[in-house]
Amino acid sequence: MSPARARTKPPALLAEHPFGPSLRVLRYRLPNGLTILVLRDPSAPIVSYHTWFRVGSRHETPGKTGQAHLLEHLMFIETESVAEGEFDRLLEAEGGESNAATWTDWTYYYENLPASTWKLAVRLEAGRMNGLVLVPKRVASEKEVVESERRDRVEDDVDGAVSERLYASVFGRQHPYGWPTIGWMRDIRAFSPADCRRFYRAHYAPNHATIVVAGDVDPADAVKTIAEAYGHFPSSPAPKPSPLKIPSARGEKRLEMRWPTPTEKLAIGWVAPAFEQRDHAVLTVLTHVLASGRSARLHVDLVREREIASEVRMSLAPFREASLVDAWVSLREGHTAVDALRAIDLQLARLAKEAVPAAELDKVKNGLELSFLGGLETVPGKAEQIGFSETVVGDPSHAFVRLEEYRSVTPADVRRVAAKVLAADARTIVRVLRGRA
Amino acid sequence: MSERHRFVTSAGTVVLVEESHAIPLVDLTAVFRTGALADPIGQEGLARIAARMLRMGTAARSAEETEETLEKLGASMSIDVSHGSIRFMASVIARSFPKFLELFGQILTAPALRPRDLARVKRESIADLAQQRDNDRWLASRAFRSALFGEHPYARSPLGTAPSMRRIAQADVASFLERHITAPNLVLGIAGDVSMAELPQLVGHALGPLSRAKAPTIALGSAARPRGRRLVLVDKPGRTQTQMFVGTLGSRLRDADFHTLLVANTAFGGTFSAPLVQEVRARRGFSYSASSRLGADREREAWTIYTHPSSENAATCLALELELVDRFVSRGPTATELRFAKGYLVKSHAFDLDTPHKRLEPRVEAEVHGLPRAFHERFVERVSHVELDAARAAIHRRLSADDLTIALVATARDVITSLEPLVDDVRVVPFDRI
Repeated sequence: MSPARARTKPPALLAEHPFGPSLRVLRYRLPNGLTILVLRDPSAPIVSYHTWFRVGSRHETPGKTGQAHLLEHLMFIETESVAEGEFDRLLEAEGGESNAATWTDWTYYYENLPASTWKLAVRLEAGRMNGLVLVPKRVASEKEVVESERRDRVEDDVDGAVSERLYASVFGRQHPYGWPTIGWMRDIRAFSPADCRRFYRAHYAPNHATIVVAGDVDPADAVKTIAEAYGHFPSSPAPKPSPLKIPSARGEKRLEMRWPTPTEKLAIGWVAPAFEQRDHAVLTVLTHVLASGRSARLHVDLVREREIASEVRMSLAPFREASLVDAWVSLREGHTAVDALRAIDLQLARLAKEAVPAAELDKVKNGLELSFLGGLETVPGKAEQIGFSETVVGDPSHAFVRLEEYRSVTPADVRRVAAKVLAADARTIVRVLRGRA
Repeated sequence: MSERHRFVTSAGTVVLVEESHAIPLVDLTAVFRTGALADPIGQEGLARIAARMLRMGTAARSAEETEETLEKLGASMSIDVSHGSIRFMASVIARSFPKFLELFGQILTAPALRPRDLARVKRESIADLAQQRDNDRWLASRAFRSALFGEHPYARSPLGTAPSMRRIAQADVASFLERHITAPNLVLGIAGDVSMAELPQLVGHALGPLSRAKAPTIALGSAARPRGRRLVLVDKPGRTQTQMFVGTLGSRLRDADFHTLLVANTAFGGTFSAPLVQEVRARRGFSYSASSRLGADREREAWTIYTHPSSENAATCLALELELVDRFVSRGPTATELRFAKGYLVKSHAFDLDTPHKRLEPRVEAEVHGLPRAFHERFVERVSHVELDAARAAIHRRLSADDLTIALVATARDVITSLEPLVDDVRVVPFDRI
């Protein structure tokens, strides 16, 4: 252990956040700015160790899209203390598993390990937060892996291709929420090791990160271990990107694309509130009224009664500064996107005209409570909730706040947000026609 | 942790319980020992359509009212029909569990089976099948299974085909449900926030009307391994990459070699550190996904390798995979690889059991397949005892590098010339014929 490490004392407890009726998230901060959140949960003899960095594709620039995601891949290859290929081998030798994800506002890494060996995660994560090695040959081969991932998820996938088109059109191709997190193919191919190194140095520092330790751990031991491993890392100036300009409604946009698909598709996107805003919770309820479950309005109308679609779904992005809400319809043979759009417009008009009955709202709220409980079934699920909530909202227990917000949504809320967000003159429509791309 | 219980209802249903009050949630798994294997020739898809008809309303409720009631209770339910089972999987907020169970009982015991609903389910199922053709991985998997299993029932899709679904009549559905949806043919698993003090009575009341008849046994023979290296190329325009399955017959659950082969497969392509993943992804960047899987069922299922290299790299990647299979089958894993795989399986077992639902699932599987309790309970011991010589011998007995089935979705003209020299036979199928 280096002298610098030995001097790092465990920090004092800063706060306790209730996490349901029986659990608590303990908050600590090291002098270098690293936030540590510990949830002791002995329900299974495992530990989930998460590292959330406040950097994602939103922090990239045009021409360098996909940098955050490529770096996420490179973080698994080699560090000053772990040789190439050893990261996964060490973890798997202990029965552990590891993965990572990148989106607009964050990148996170996790390790799930048996409780007896969880400190291996500290060693591996500390090693790559401050000692990543970027060898040109491996940067090149990992770029090919990312190209393969992009081909799988976008180039050859109708859902992914349409989603990319929708985001680019709603926010604009030059907007950080408008380019794909995986990056444009041309940009991925152009990255150099030096690009990756610059991005790593700018964004990977203890004061840009939160560590979540959840599971069968002793909090005092966890904080001591983490303080020793990370306490000597220098902080770095936090990049402060300018607040994003959120596009305002400028009339309806209509796009068409061709794809070798057996049936037409329709996607509609609207700019939506930022995740933290209560209206995001209202909009979540609204999307469930329309498209969650077999008794949801659009499913009943388009799939069951009109029989023009085989699938209808809606999704709402959870971004920090603004989101995107979208509807997706896969048509049946013999029906067109025009048919689906007409039916959706009627349902949206109904929302504007009639209050959603209380019983229907209660049904949706029960469904959201079920999803919330499902997220708490596993230790890794809890760790993810904590890391996401802390990174996006600054409150590790925000999932419970969000549940209360869902419960408080009224029919008037739904009507107001439907009128505000799902306006015809503020939407982008992508129609997928059958044919060669 | 949870408390473990087992009881048998007076009608003959085995009920397995993992009682845990950690969160107010209940997961239910109900498995009937039937499935697509019971589909008559020419009526493929019958088991799936019959299962879907169960949620199309009861004597007291329309289909719409049934779905509405389920969701009002804070419940979600899905139905999965495989070759050997019809499986209902549900999650429900604990406070609604008694009402959910009552509704579930009505769904199973008093389905309305209205003719107009059957017509609707058939149209929906045919539309679902059409939509699957957007999914290249599914297309590759279908082509692979069809080529590997040939005339064996495992070759058939539980989805059926559009013509076979059109041939299914009301009487077929009613007859299927009457014969197969019976109490002795059901294994019910319940995990989560329930009380054993109330459960037997709740289950007895909800499922009481289920038929007590013994369900028919479904005969099933062994599949024959196709000879040679045979490629099915599913031609789809505009592909930049391929979806590729390579494999042969694997194992069955009662195979004495099952655990040995499981360890061997893990050593070959079951972890990120395994040679398959290292060679295909880490060293060469050919494919984002690379894995091998040992299937096992009543009879021998498939052993498969899955990757999705670009069209440009497809032949080089396939040649590499064939070389890796050759080496694996002829020499087996190294001692280091085998030791690593055993350690991984033993230590990661904690994640197979970290929720009440996960602890329940292997118990349900063992009950459904009539496996001894030791099959799962002594998993760690069995895996730990696998020796290198035994692994090599099991691989020789069960796997083959000469007889390999390969299915690939790609734009045929971009890849066919480079693939032909690697195999004994190539068959091209348009993607809309799968």
